[in-house]
Amino acid sequence: MSQILLALQAAGQVLLAAVILGAGLPAMFSLGMRALAYGNGGSAEVEVEAQPHVLGKVLAYICFGVVIIAVMLGISWIVGTGMGYKLSFEHFLPVFRKK
Amino acid sequence: MVVDIAPMIVLGMVILTSLAFDFTNGFHDTANAMATSIATGALKPKAAVSLSAILNLVGAFLSVEVALTVTNSVIKIQDSTGAPNPALTADGGSALLLIVLSGLIGAILWNLLTWLLGLPSSSSHALFGGLIGATIAGLGFSAVKWVGTGAKLDGVVGKVILPALLSPVIASLVAMTGTWLIYRITKTVAEKFRNDGFRWGQIGSASLISLAHGMNDAQKTMGIITLALIASGQWHDLTAVPLWVKGACAMAIAMGTYIGGWRIIRTLGKGLVEIDSPQGLAADSASAATIIVSSHLGFALSTTHVATGSIIGTGLGRKGASVRWGVALRMLVAWLITLPSAALVAALTWGIGHLVGGLAGAFVVFAILLVAAGYMLWHSRKNPVGHHNVTDEWEASPEGLAPELPKEVVR
Repeated sequence: MSQILLALQAAGQVLLAAVILGAGLPAMFSLGMRALAYGNGGSAEVEVEAQPHVLGKVLAYICFGVVIIAVMLGISWIVGTGMGYKLSFEHFLPVFRKK
Repeated sequence: MVVDIAPMIVLGMVILTSLAFDFTNGFHDTANAMATSIATGALKPKAAVSLSAILNLVGAFLSVEVALTVTNSVIKIQDSTGAPNPALTADGGSALLLIVLSGLIGAILWNLLTWLLGLPSSSSHALFGGLIGATIAGLGFSAVKWVGTGAKLDGVVGKVILPALLSPVIASLVAMTGTWLIYRITKTVAEKFRNDGFRWGQIGSASLISLAHGMNDAQKTMGIITLALIASGQWHDLTAVPLWVKGACAMAIAMGTYIGGWRIIRTLGKGLVEIDSPQGLAADSASAATIIVSSHLGFALSTTHVATGSIIGTGLGRKGASVRWGVALRMLVAWLITLPSAALVAALTWGIGHLVGGLAGAFVVFAILLVAAGYMLWHSRKNPVGHHNVTDEWEASPEGLAPELPKEVVR
């Protein structure tokens, strides 16, 4: 019985973190695509008459940047764990510490 | 002095069989990472399997923290430090070697059968099932850790059954949320522009799955080979894995991935849901996030269950998309019977090996593996699925490429 509770508890934690990363990052990527289409205008938009906007491009690359940084952190985290290091955010900037 | 070489030969067979399992693990699971990218055309089939293979190789080498206690969550043949049970290591470790050998054979044969049927079943369930079956046959029911005790998820229930029930649900909820958000946000973006962009995101997230897979799965085999080496007195360090073991396992899983289980890729990529690039990104990101987060939290789950859950979720999250529930049901049946089936095969294998006894017994079970594997490979040639036809329309070739589960398996 306690195993079921433990599993549900773990599942809840996994779900929460996975929604933030696994649905949040694609949503951020989509915002980037939305902004990029606004930036490109023309055939990128459903409404073909749309004008290009520089602001859209800037916003788009900010969004993509956030996604790429998050993924890079994810990879360093996996690799770091494999090497016996722990990624720490104590001073905001990520630092690797020996476990 | 006469040196008994029989245990050495058995050890060699265990090592070969472990690597063979690792290989099937790789090719069974290529689909988990790459099925959606191949289906949406984000990557050409050959490019997808090559990328996945390289990342699996890298991942396997990066898994420095190899647990030698991989079997401990389900069976009691090692103590908590990873040292094999002394009762099993007499006589060059032959008792333990036969259990491990039979368990691996059960796992490989089940992996090959489900591959033949194009079903994405879990390699970890097959491995645990095989080990459980061989242990029951060799040491009795009490040598299996059924339910864990205390404040940690453990045992067959805590490490295998509960995660298997929960993880597809988690993954599909994540993928559903992601899919819904993506389509909502990009509603006013032209379809072609959107799809071109999402391909890149998809390749990125699929790569992440491959890397995590190499890290998680190759180390199981590394742990088992090292256990066999320790049991037969060839290795004494309980905190490290021999470098050649790591290299061999990394190569085996990468080669398996490169060969690609095209049948399974086809089922996952084309059979379950017709997917578009945005859905591919949603599914892959959901899988990658779920796998990485749960391995961090020590929630042992199977990449296969997660990937399948994500793909179903992305079908549910998009208006107008539909899930082929018939295909999903067939997968579900395969999941349910994977562990018991692998266990049964392994138990029978152990029985035969034990009956014949000694070196001859090991040779006989090894021969059974070769014959059965050879038969299934030969059978697969009748309706080959490869990179050339993996993305053909699902409906167009109902019998050739969507192999029906033979009735005797369903029953």
